[in-house]
Amino acid sequence: MDLHFSAEDEQYRLRLREWLEAHTGRAKNPLAAGGGGDIMGALQGARDWQRTLWEAGYVGLAWPKEYGGQEATLTQQVIVNQELARYSTPPLINTIGLTILGPTLVVNGTDDQRRRFLPKILSAEELWCQGFSEPEAGSDLASLRTRAEIDGDEFVVTGQKVWTSLAPIADWCFLLARTDPNAPKREGISYLLCNMRTPGIKVNALRNAAGGIHFSEVFFDEVRIPRDQLVGELHGGWQIARTTLEHERSGLSNVLSLEQTLKRLWATASSLQQGTGVALDDPSLRREFARAWVDIEALRYLGFRTLSAQIAGRTPGAGASVGKLHASQLRQRLADLALRTEGPLAQLAKRSPHVVDRGRWVAAYFDALGHSIGGGTAEIQRNTIAERVLGLPRSVVD
Amino acid sequence: MDFELSDEQVALRDAARDYFANRWSRDHVRDALDRPPVVVPDELWQEVAELGWVGIAVAVEAGGSGGDVATAAVIAEEAGRALFPSALASVLTAAVALDRAGDRWRGALLEGVCAGTRRAVCAFEEPGGAWGPDAVRTTAVRDGDRLVVSGSKILVADVEGTDTLLVAARTPTGVALVAVPADAPGVTITPMIRIDGGQIGEVVLDAVQLPADALLGSDAPADAGDDAGADADALARSTYDLGTLLGAADLLGVAEAALAVTTAFANDRVQFGRPIGSFQAVSHRLADVLVDVEITRSLLYAACLAMDEGRPDAAELVSAVKVAANEAAVRATEAAVQLHGGIGFTWELDVHLYLRRARAGVATFGDGAHHLDRIFAQHTQARAAT
Ligand SMILES: Cc1cc2nc3c(=O)[nH]c(=O)nc-3n(C[C@H](O)[C@H](O)[C@H](O)COP(=O)(O)OP(=O)(O)OC[C@H]3O[C@@H](n4cnc5c(N)ncnc54)[C@H](O)[C@@H]3O)c2cc1C
Repeated sequence: MDLHFSAEDEQYRLRLREWLEAHTGRAKNPLAAGGGGDIMGALQGARDWQRTLWEAGYVGLAWPKEYGGQEATLTQQVIVNQELARYSTPPLINTIGLTILGPTLVVNGTDDQRRRFLPKILSAEELWCQGFSEPEAGSDLASLRTRAEIDGDEFVVTGQKVWTSLAPIADWCFLLARTDPNAPKREGISYLLCNMRTPGIKVNALRNAAGGIHFSEVFFDEVRIPRDQLVGELHGGWQIARTTLEHERSGLSNVLSLEQTLKRLWATASSLQQGTGVALDDPSLRREFARAWVDIEALRYLGFRTLSAQIAGRTPGAGASVGKLHASQLRQRLADLALRTEGPLAQLAKRSPHVVDRGRWVAAYFDALGHSIGGGTAEIQRNTIAERVLGLPRSVVD
Repeated sequence: MDFELSDEQVALRDAARDYFANRWSRDHVRDALDRPPVVVPDELWQEVAELGWVGIAVAVEAGGSGGDVATAAVIAEEAGRALFPSALASVLTAAVALDRAGDRWRGALLEGVCAGTRRAVCAFEEPGGAWGPDAVRTTAVRDGDRLVVSGSKILVADVEGTDTLLVAARTPTGVALVAVPADAPGVTITPMIRIDGGQIGEVVLDAVQLPADALLGSDAPADAGDDAGADADALARSTYDLGTLLGAADLLGVAEAALAVTTAFANDRVQFGRPIGSFQAVSHRLADVLVDVEITRSLLYAACLAMDEGRPDAAELVSAVKVAANEAAVRATEAAVQLHGGIGFTWELDVHLYLRRARAGVATFGDGAHHLDRIFAQHTQARAAT
């Protein structure tokens, strides 16, 4: 057992830190700009930040050099994730393209598709959204109904997607559509790439429970997609989507952001007045803070075990569900702990006098709720663990 | 980076699992519950000693197998999985303390312990409701060329049949372990039974007179330039940590065993025309246990590494894994009872044996609250220091 990074890796980390010291502060998070600010300006800032980071060699670490990647080691990827989180840089604007579509194209795309799309995912010149979920197909994604009919050299797509994150700002969408309505439900689905400016697409932004704009409805009305924007085989989209949904990440980047959250909350609890003392004088609250620390350490070392398995060439497989389930629950427990630390003050809205930390914890609380829904619900993660790790019988017969 | 067991550790794990499966039956545990305590027959103790497991983490030159903390944890986990008595972990821990205390303690006693002919166990806890080295009030006072130990100890695991007690006592410079022969005048041992049938006891030390060098390591102030061996206070604390870590490993084994039997049962038992494991009220509860188990294992490996490397965060990680193991073991074993239905509530089935072991282990080497308080205190200290 050995948890050390090699001297070479530590060098890599140092160079990255120096780079970050010189370059942070320039990045802006467009989603944090809220209703008021200059959204278009912030968006451009976010694209610029990703591009700068890519040009420095810190985006697309696992991707082939030929398409703008780095062919870096897994350990270097982890180091980059850790350091970006440590410096609290904003999330990369094209994360969906980077984490889901990119790896899919590397494996399943044609050479033309890779050359055409990968560099612009990396540079954030083209932002991507994921059009999988539909009103009638969420956890049971294979029940999707959006149709794609073949007409000469084109697919003609009609249907509706929903919960599509970032749709209003996306330039492109990768989507699943039914190309063979008569085949069994998993065998008639294709994986398509669609320009969001194509006639027939309508985006209707939805407000989420936290009050922000995060996801949208996307309507397709006879939208024409060139045939060469099909990824993989015709009707072969389900297998491709499944592999990408399982695209493993060790979850180590989550750890640092959670750690920072706990640190900040600890500081709040150590100064928030409660009677003649502070909130953290309460012994039961102290134990909960210690418990939150245990949970975060657990996620860290779980991440190291996943990483170590990947380095050894083993796929963590359904084991990634363990990390996702634990991380979403932990995030929610931490947010709940924050509100209980505030006590009755937790009811105050953002700009009220006496509000604690300018209302950050209520926002964190609502944000955390989405983590056990998006990307496969907690229940679906439990199904996966039960069936694929423990080997229990399938719970759903379909 | 390599954060899994090494090939040798995997081989040891498999060997230990086979050995316990062949040589130790859970029926012994059940039978012995009616005629407690559950003890390891001499013949088996001799075998595990010959396999090198009692001295698994003792240096080779001192008569041990030279394994690291992670290797010791492998043995503790497998013992837990098999419900093999806790004596193995208790004596293993005391052996490591003797080994680390310096040359004075390497010799007949430690060699005998490793060889299975002698036994030593540690005695930390005391009456009064506060736990761990900080709560020790038993004293070790120098009186000429004698060391006089007075106080009382409770919850001393596997005390019967031991010939040496490593008693945690307060000295002018902190806490230290003092080697007390079980038959020394002034020592009174009252055996008791643990809820899993295990054997514990109360030890009263009434001005026990010992030679001046009965203390493990040096209790001289740091600036005294004394080179009599390890720092006694640090040794006592790291011994408590090792015991805690092995206790957590034992609980992890128990949790995994309970999860495995319950998963197998959920695959077999049919109700409403389907295996009960297809009902999510069942499968999701087991999935949650799996998460608890994986988390505990991750923290266990982290704590082992930290202890082996002598890192400053070792104590905190040890507390973390004990907190996680406590929860995993209780959830796994309670789920085992519930999900077996009526048969899960019988004396015949093994699941209550796992539950007993879990409940006993949870309360050993500090409960969850104790370790959470320890984590909080260490965090606060670390903050004050920076
Ligand atoms: C913040 C956020 C961002 C998202 N971004 C995107 C995106 O960019 N692109 C995209 O395509 N989708 C996106 N989604 C959609 C997300 O993938 C779905 O919401 C999710 O898969 C659940 O589907 P659903 O909403 O239809 O709920 P349903 O599937 O209807 O589930 C409702 C409830 O039933 C439970 N349930 C369903 N099936 C089972 C079962 N077999 N066993 C036990 N319980 C079950 C669920 O766990 C849930 O609690 C996003 C969602 C969120 C919250």
